[in-house]
Amino acid sequence: MSDLINNLALGFSVAALPSNLLMCLIGTLVGTLIGVLPGIGPLATIAMLLPITFGLPPVGALIMLAGIYYGAQYGGSTTSILINIPGESSSVVTTLDGHQMARQGRAGPALAIAAIGSFFAGCVSTVLVAALGAPLTSVALLFGPAEYFSLMVLGLIFAVVLAKGSILKAVAMVLTGLLLSMVGSDIETGQSRMAFDVPELSDGIGFVQVAMGVFGFAEIMRNLEQTESREIVQAKITGLMPTWADLKASAGAIGRGTLIGSILGILPGGGAVIAAFAAYTFEKKMSKDPSRFGRGAIEGVAAPESANNAAAQTSFIPLLTLGIPPNAVMALMVGAMTIHGIVPGPQVMTKQPQLFWGMIASMWLGNLMLVVINLPLVGVWVRLLRVPYRMLFPAIVIFCAIGVYSLNNSPFDVVMTGLFGLVGYWLMKHDFEPAPMLLGFVLGPLMEENLRRAMLIARGDPSTFVTRPISAGLLAVATLLLVLAILPMMKKQRDVVFTESET
Amino acid sequence: MSDQTAGPGPKGAIRNPRDFFGGLALVGLALFALWASRDLPGMHGFAFGPGTAPRLFASLLGVLGAAIAIVGFLTDGPALERFYIRGPLFITASLIVFALLIRQGGLVLASFVSIMVAAAGTEEVRWVETVIWAVVLTIFCSLLFPYGLNLPFQLWPRSYTLGLW
Repeated sequence: MSDLINNLALGFSVAALPSNLLMCLIGTLVGTLIGVLPGIGPLATIAMLLPITFGLPPVGALIMLAGIYYGAQYGGSTTSILINIPGESSSVVTTLDGHQMARQGRAGPALAIAAIGSFFAGCVSTVLVAALGAPLTSVALLFGPAEYFSLMVLGLIFAVVLAKGSILKAVAMVLTGLLLSMVGSDIETGQSRMAFDVPELSDGIGFVQVAMGVFGFAEIMRNLEQTESREIVQAKITGLMPTWADLKASAGAIGRGTLIGSILGILPGGGAVIAAFAAYTFEKKMSKDPSRFGRGAIEGVAAPESANNAAAQTSFIPLLTLGIPPNAVMALMVGAMTIHGIVPGPQVMTKQPQLFWGMIASMWLGNLMLVVINLPLVGVWVRLLRVPYRMLFPAIVIFCAIGVYSLNNSPFDVVMTGLFGLVGYWLMKHDFEPAPMLLGFVLGPLMEENLRRAMLIARGDPSTFVTRPISAGLLAVATLLLVLAILPMMKKQRDVVFTESET
Repeated sequence: MSDQTAGPGPKGAIRNPRDFFGGLALVGLALFALWASRDLPGMHGFAFGPGTAPRLFASLLGVLGAAIAIVGFLTDGPALERFYIRGPLFITASLIVFALLIRQGGLVLASFVSIMVAAAGTEEVRWVETVIWAVVLTIFCSLLFPYGLNLPFQLWPRSYTLGLW
């Protein structure tokens, strides 16, 4: 315990340096801005901002990038509530009840509860990251290739089970991602694989191109289908503070949301989007009167908003302790760390304690900044949203194009991004979820490497995955999850959230 | 890209075209990957070769794709949604134009032209407004990226700066 306090004290002494405070502020502000603007996500932004972090000290760079991530979770809720357009995929469920509240003239309390829930979740998960960091690092030392492989299988299964729609299609998407990640050079022999002698492909398909295309550009293409039908709540946002009854109603939801979010964030394959959905569904099931949900129930805002923020933060745990990025944004953080010569994994904590703890402490400070800055800024964000989409999207397109280009100074990358935009558009039209694909794409090389090593160590005997206890346990959980998801009852319930949201 | 319209009507034998064609496309992708990785060495002894994992994943994908297509053939589902051409076409064109222009044409020209092309992606485009907006954005980009973020960008076409061509 005293270790924990000492470590946190070290962290705060690093995070409170003026330069790092500034980085944190910039990060959270940019993140909120990104979150507010629909069609441009934290992924694209972090990708765009990666090159600038070259010039920054590593701690400052990571603090800023982390700030963008959780700032975006927060900003996304503002648009969900005010105009019924989720600024961020993790805020999709917030639209269900948040926008209803806004229509009933309760936009203020909805925004305030979102902020309070996020802040509470941020505080809890900061402590959680600090507390779990050390023990998980020691667990990481017990992990061999077989365990790593099984852990990633579990993560992918999680992503599949919690994705919406057909399980079969989600698994197929994971495999598509794995397959795409094989393009490039073989890790062990360096032999070119499926690259067709295209020099730009010899290093593999870039993660940023896939992510920006499938999420960013596909989304823009989709948005362009409808002519503008944005509905901004014109009524003045008065009475920002929730009533005592609101607070009482949402306290439990915030607590449960934080718990669910923290757990799902830690598990690979989880992440903010899934956490928000899970928390909302859970809250609806817990409720005495589920019919209130979708009609402006404050718990329906409190739970997912707490959950997505908690998950955004706890998803740093597997990255910092095991070196496995649990979701796409964390994969970009790996990129950012590598730029600075830091290898993510258990050694970060022991070799660079000021980086590890500084980042954790900055998360708490960042959350505080979010509350303080954003409640008064709500008016500014709303005005920003009056910018019509026909002006917004060319700006997003050009920023993304320049961002992708600047990563490698490669025009080929820009075209690839466009290609993946079309792929993403096609996937949407056929009800395929791109998120499992992206996770498969990120975990592909790591999975292959560990699979190969594990098989080599076991002298070609695949039973090694079920005879080693930790690996067997992880796989058992994965199987259980899959079985539960395939049971038709569960499937029906999974669909409830989505079908009711359409009406 | 097809231009089938959504909506009810005679669906024919295929009851869930989204899944059916989606599954078929994945089978196609899997077959393509198997073909593309045909020359890679596979297992030797109990060690994986470079081709083992790609073929493993491709085979699994092929099986799943086929399963999705079969399910889509046998069960009811929504009709294919309409593919819009305009948005995707101009967004993609804008990126291609940017890629073609950025090396020789410089950031200013590439940004301006690709903003204009992208803006044409919606029917709501207003040309006067778009030109003004494109100029503003181009100036913003030309200041932000090379100066604000210190990225190595060439601003003007090469022929002017270097007197080449």
